Amino acid sequence: MTQNRLLNGAVWTAMLLFLGVVVFPFYWMVNTSLKPMSEVFQSPPAFYPSHWTLAGYVNIWATRLMGRYFLNTAVISVGSTLLAMVLSALAAYGFSRFRLRWEQPLILVLLLTQMLPGTLLIIPYFQLMAKLRLINNYLSLILAYVSFALPFSTWMLVGFFRSIPLELDEAAMVDGCSRVGAFWRVILPLSLPGLVAVAIFTFLLAWNAYVFALVLTTDPKMFPLSVGIANMLGEYQVVWNEMMAGAVLATLPVFILYGFLERYLVQGITAGAVKG
Amino acid sequence: MPGRRDWVGQGIRREQRLGYLFVAPMLLFLAGIIFFPLAHAFTTSLYREAGVNVRFVGLGNYRRLLEDEAFWNSLRVSVVFTTASVALHLAVAMPLALFLNQLRRGRTTLRLLFLTPWMVTPVIGATAWVWLLEPHFGVVNYLLRSLGLISAYKIWLGEPALALGSVVAVDVWRGFPFVMLILLAGLQTVPREEYEAASIDGAATFQRFLFITLPHLRYLLVVATTLDVINTIRTFDIVAVMTRGGPVNATEVLPVLIFNTAFQANRFGPAAAVGVVLLLLLLVFSTVYILLLQPERAGERLR
Amino acid sequence: MNAKKNIRFSAVRLSRREALRGLVGIAATTLASSVGTPRNVRAAAPITLQYMTANLTEAQYAPVWKEMIAKFEAQNPNIKIEPILVARKDHWIKFVTAAKANQAPDVVSVDIATAAYYGYLRPIDDLWQAEPSAYREAWTADVLKAASWKGKLYGLPSWGGIYGEIYNKDLVKQAGLDMAKPPSTWKEYLDWAKPLTKEGQQWALAILAGKTDSTTRMLLMWIWSNGGEAFNADMTQATFASNPKSLEAIEFYLGLQLNHGVVAPGSVNINYLEQTILFAQQKIATMRNAYWGVAKVVGDNPAIKDKIAVAFPPMNTGKRVTLATMAADSISKDCKNVEAAWKFAKFVNDREWGVKRAQVSNWMPMRTDLTTDPEVKKDPMLVQFLEYGKVARAYPLPHPLWADIAANDIVTATQSALLKQATVKDAFTKLDVELNKKFKEV
Repeated sequence: MTQNRLLNGAVWTAMLLFLGVVVFPFYWMVNTSLKPMSEVFQSPPAFYPSHWTLAGYVNIWATRLMGRYFLNTAVISVGSTLLAMVLSALAAYGFSRFRLRWEQPLILVLLLTQMLPGTLLIIPYFQLMAKLRLINNYLSLILAYVSFALPFSTWMLVGFFRSIPLELDEAAMVDGCSRVGAFWRVILPLSLPGLVAVAIFTFLLAWNAYVFALVLTTDPKMFPLSVGIANMLGEYQVVWNEMMAGAVLATLPVFILYGFLERYLVQGITAGAVKG
Repeated sequence: MPGRRDWVGQGIRREQRLGYLFVAPMLLFLAGIIFFPLAHAFTTSLYREAGVNVRFVGLGNYRRLLEDEAFWNSLRVSVVFTTASVALHLAVAMPLALFLNQLRRGRTTLRLLFLTPWMVTPVIGATAWVWLLEPHFGVVNYLLRSLGLISAYKIWLGEPALALGSVVAVDVWRGFPFVMLILLAGLQTVPREEYEAASIDGAATFQRFLFITLPHLRYLLVVATTLDVINTIRTFDIVAVMTRGGPVNATEVLPVLIFNTAFQANRFGPAAAVGVVLLLLLLVFSTVYILLLQPERAGERLR
Repeated sequence: MNAKKNIRFSAVRLSRREALRGLVGIAATTLASSVGTPRNVRAAAPITLQYMTANLTEAQYAPVWKEMIAKFEAQNPNIKIEPILVARKDHWIKFVTAAKANQAPDVVSVDIATAAYYGYLRPIDDLWQAEPSAYREAWTADVLKAASWKGKLYGLPSWGGIYGEIYNKDLVKQAGLDMAKPPSTWKEYLDWAKPLTKEGQQWALAILAGKTDSTTRMLLMWIWSNGGEAFNADMTQATFASNPKSLEAIEFYLGLQLNHGVVAPGSVNINYLEQTILFAQQKIATMRNAYWGVAKVVGDNPAIKDKIAVAFPPMNTGKRVTLATMAADSISKDCKNVEAAWKFAKFVNDREWGVKRAQVSNWMPMRTDLTTDPEVKKDPMLVQFLEYGKVARAYPLPHPLWADIAANDIVTATQSALLKQATVKDAFTKLDVELNKKFKEV
């Protein structure tokens, strides 16, 4: 019994140590963001600011277009989420409720699409968007992110929809609904967890994206958070406390979102990965 | 039975058409945003730019690649990076998943905490790490030296081997939670009775893991690994922000090579060629992944 | 089964139409906000010019350009200047992607040869010739040539940097050396470097080997100081290793680290920023830099102001030669308000700002009338640098691939040698071969 306890204690210690390593960078982000510039370049580094200040947060908002960065990221993320939800829900309904002859090859194509490398696509996509004059435009980013999110989202939703018995559709249609009506009134509400998972997945994909925005936005007014913050690195003077403040601000919304909705995401991954 | 549709003849055709109508928007969207540009990328790879002139070279760019040291270096770096990263993802995620699985209380909280590296935007996490790894004022050097693990401050992002190790470490930090989630989901499908039966038979913890857990998880492990490989080969953000492919191209994974060739050296044709090679590599793994999934899908469809 | 359906039904109160309307509304708003307002399309509204140079993010230039833009806008109420702040490491990429998308900023400062070769810039000969000759005479033919490509003028040369050797007087004195007799030959420099190095504490110099073109500038200066050449006359061949004098120079310069250990560690990560920080913190005793380096280190550490001395870099031949960079303000091909852009470019080159740049940021003016201006001459160190400018060779070198090879291929060879992945000879022989290959395609 004691041997078990000892082992248990050892395991817990190891886990907690590892947890410490995992979350340490966040602690250091916050720590640095609250330091005045004079304390940032100290050797040895201070583990807490002796004179903490919000100067980093104030300055980055003043000298950078943080407000714009947030707005841009929010618009792009919300736009992508809505469009992805609509397209993937419709497609998933089609796949799950109809015996389509081309279903297998289509799903195959879908899965393959998910595997494409973004850096290859970015070259023709950039040329295309340049021709359409959609550089420095939300639309080009929204379209790109939706296309990345669609395969996994559709697949996830197909799994969810398939778990809803066909009889429910039929019952609704007997009551006088059309196919679309059955989709709208019966299937969608029942698959809410799946829809939420799709929404989170797409939202985070768009929020965290970098390379497409790096190339498709050249006007700092249109930078999303990822590009705006990374842009501060490698300049003649890296103001670390301001940069970490920006990093903290950019990360908070995601953490909050995850806090509330992680359950759904896990459900979604479970459904997708395990139930296939 | 009442209400059951008649699937024969015209009914089927009309139904099929309606079904395709639902699927069409997504397909058209993908055709325009993915497949059309993909085809365009192929054609771009057949041209080469020289200033304002662009000329057709057929497979010339690909032939050049075979002799290009930068390309082979990049391929090698990608292989090393992906192998190390994926292996470490699994090595870290497995024990964590096992641990979380047998937790009775606090599982959700711990799971959320371990998920944090995956939540944060990769470039933002990477910039935080650049600061942590700063040679003179970064905390990593200070901690490692205080603990006696290194004798002198190391320039983490300044030496080829160290730089590669650093980006792998950051990618592991960033990527293990996803694998952990998949494994955790899989662990929860292992029937408890088998564990109980094994304990009654006197099996040690490790034996239970080897003979019960692993066989059940085998399929999921392969799936998760394949997915992980596919995702890791495509890593761009972390490397771009931390090292831009340097020093001396020691961390120039294929996506970074493509980006540098296209947008820094202004050579879209050769960049697209490297991209196509990367695509072919990914297709190999994707095919493996899809083949793995097929049996399950077949089972589903028979419902 | 039916009961279940009914419960779910009651949860969905929105009618299909309402929900559809809501979705359409959101989509429309997103689309509308995404289209935005294209630049310069509004007819009677003020003109907006985008202005982008890598130096806008530099602390020592900030006070000057902010005042400059404010004054310009005050004098020209219908023109608004929008500065585009981009990190130096991303500056070229951002410019290229914008230019390829026909959305390049109106007034930019970039590598003229490369940008013109790819067709990103608008030649300004017509605007230039329209100016009175008295105005045009302020620029020498050489300087204008440096801003031209294939016979056409592509930029108005605004400022530059002339390189010298900057010393920390205190550290020199502590090492028992006489600042009145600075090293003028390589051997003397090495003799100084050894006592100036105290292992772990301070070093004689820092070698720049980071992924910027500053690395190449250093290399070129050392090559020239030995009478060597990095390229042949018409820049169709690279001669880093094939020219024995060049190779000797590179071996000496990199040998300072490889053989003598008088160099600060971590060269592959050292660029202008790191070098100046090291100097400001008195970790290196000498710094090959332009006058702007002085403004930078004084900004970092005001206490160092009185410790700075400048001398001509050490040579290995009788002939003195150094390097002078030239930055010009160009107008991009996509600019829709060329007159306004030209007006701004000229304003940037007005006497007031040339003098301010010289005094505050320590940037050399390109106009000959400014170099003899009493305001400018008040600063003895500036005058000293201007003297050096008389024997300076122009930089960047006029090759269409310069922006790429200066920050990549040449740097890779340098890093490779410093990291002992190859001998200096092998690394630079390889570089010659690669560059010759690339040059053939142009």
